[in-house]
Amino acid sequence: MRYLKTSEAAALLNVSPNTLRAWERRFGFPKPQRSPGKHRLFTHGEVAALRDALQEGLSISSAISRAREGLAADANSLVGALASYERERADAAIEAALALRSVERSVEEVLLPTLDEIARRYTVESAAWAFAAHWGSDWLRRAMRLTPPPVRQVSIVLGDASRDELDRDAPYIRALELFCVRAGVKVLSLSARGVAGIGDAAAVHRPNLVVVAGGHLDDDTVARWAYAIRLAVGAMPLAIYRRGAERPRVRATGTTVLPPGAGDAQRTLLELLESDQIATASASAAAAELRAQGRIARSHR
Amino acid sequence: MRRASTGRPALRLLNTPLEREDPAPLVSFCSHCGSRPGPEAAPALSRVCATCGLGLILESRADVAPAAGDAFLVLDRSLAVCAVSHGAEHLLATSEPDAVNRHVTDLLMPAGAEDTGGHSLAMAVAWAARGDGGTRTTVVRPANAFGIRLTARIASCGPPRAALVVLE
Repeated sequence: MRYLKTSEAAALLNVSPNTLRAWERRFGFPKPQRSPGKHRLFTHGEVAALRDALQEGLSISSAISRAREGLAADANSLVGALASYERERADAAIEAALALRSVERSVEEVLLPTLDEIARRYTVESAAWAFAAHWGSDWLRRAMRLTPPPVRQVSIVLGDASRDELDRDAPYIRALELFCVRAGVKVLSLSARGVAGIGDAAAVHRPNLVVVAGGHLDDDTVARWAYAIRLAVGAMPLAIYRRGAERPRVRATGTTVLPPGAGDAQRTLLELLESDQIATASASAAAAELRAQGRIARSHR
Repeated sequence: MRRASTGRPALRLLNTPLEREDPAPLVSFCSHCGSRPGPEAAPALSRVCATCGLGLILESRADVAPAAGDAFLVLDRSLAVCAVSHGAEHLLATSEPDAVNRHVTDLLMPAGAEDTGGHSLAMAVAWAARGDGGTRTTVVRPANAFGIRLTARIASCGPPRAALVVLE
């Protein structure tokens, strides 16, 4: 994946950086990612597609529409490959998507919409969905194995409350896991069914946050699992992901409900982790100050 | 048409306006703000308007081309909207990203029920988008709005070839 800075993308399109930023505001395209320093990073594929479309366009809007159509072709070809049970062609389609987008955007804009389309078109009871869900889950796990080791000092425990990989929520949970790992967060993914020995796992992992993801398991099972974690490592923030908004809840105080999109959920999680870190850091700073004040008071005495 | 000596009407062959008139020169304009790049400007590396940055530079006959701030649309031969000027966005209460790829009748309708044949909006646009020379004028109204009549000047523009509808 090749990224371009704003000035490089503007030079490729023969426009000024201000014009490029104006297009992003008005049309939402090309859509940049952000570097760790919050600078815009445009994917070369999107900029090149727009440059070609501008040659033939009658307006910026129509050129952008054409460029978007070209990029959407990846999702269509992936749907076709999965619907015809062709694993190699599906791999090639997602590779083509990766040539134009980051891993996160390929998953969010191509893989997950494709799986949704297969489920909508053929239902989750179909062989097509079984094949597509298995392929999607396999691809996400492969992508996770290729991710460099975590760099942040934060970790989460993810309680998987989905049925199995044929659950419609399962690809979203795997995608959230992948996005968090790629953001440098240590993730321990466990089934929310298993309570035995959970204390040992949690004590070793020392999570900053617990996420319960998936809507298949009932609230009692999930609550038992969360309670076992709490017994092992104490109280900590809890977030729920794709548990079903319509499910009636008895008590959800202090729980954060993550947005259904994997990318949005990852961003919310990172904000939660950062605020938790800030809170922990200010608590330790306050404690250190109190200790220092105590020492001064003792020395005065 | 004139009356022959018998008193019956007789047809007479006339030159078409295109054959009679000199072809108007072509001018460039921005597909969003309508401003025209000056002749002294250096040849641009891209077609993007240097004034607003939100439109592409198109060409049309000087007598039809819009002025800066005019309300106009650019349509392709399938009558789909390809560009909406800033003035037209205000006039038709829409935005270009919303209007692009929609059918022209989502934005404009012929104002007169008697408009038929070659004078209809659709046919005039199709002719202009095909590249026919000349200018056609018809009366239109914003879709879903009655009592508002706008004169539409329709001519060819491009590249690529398309129909320019200037609203007055």
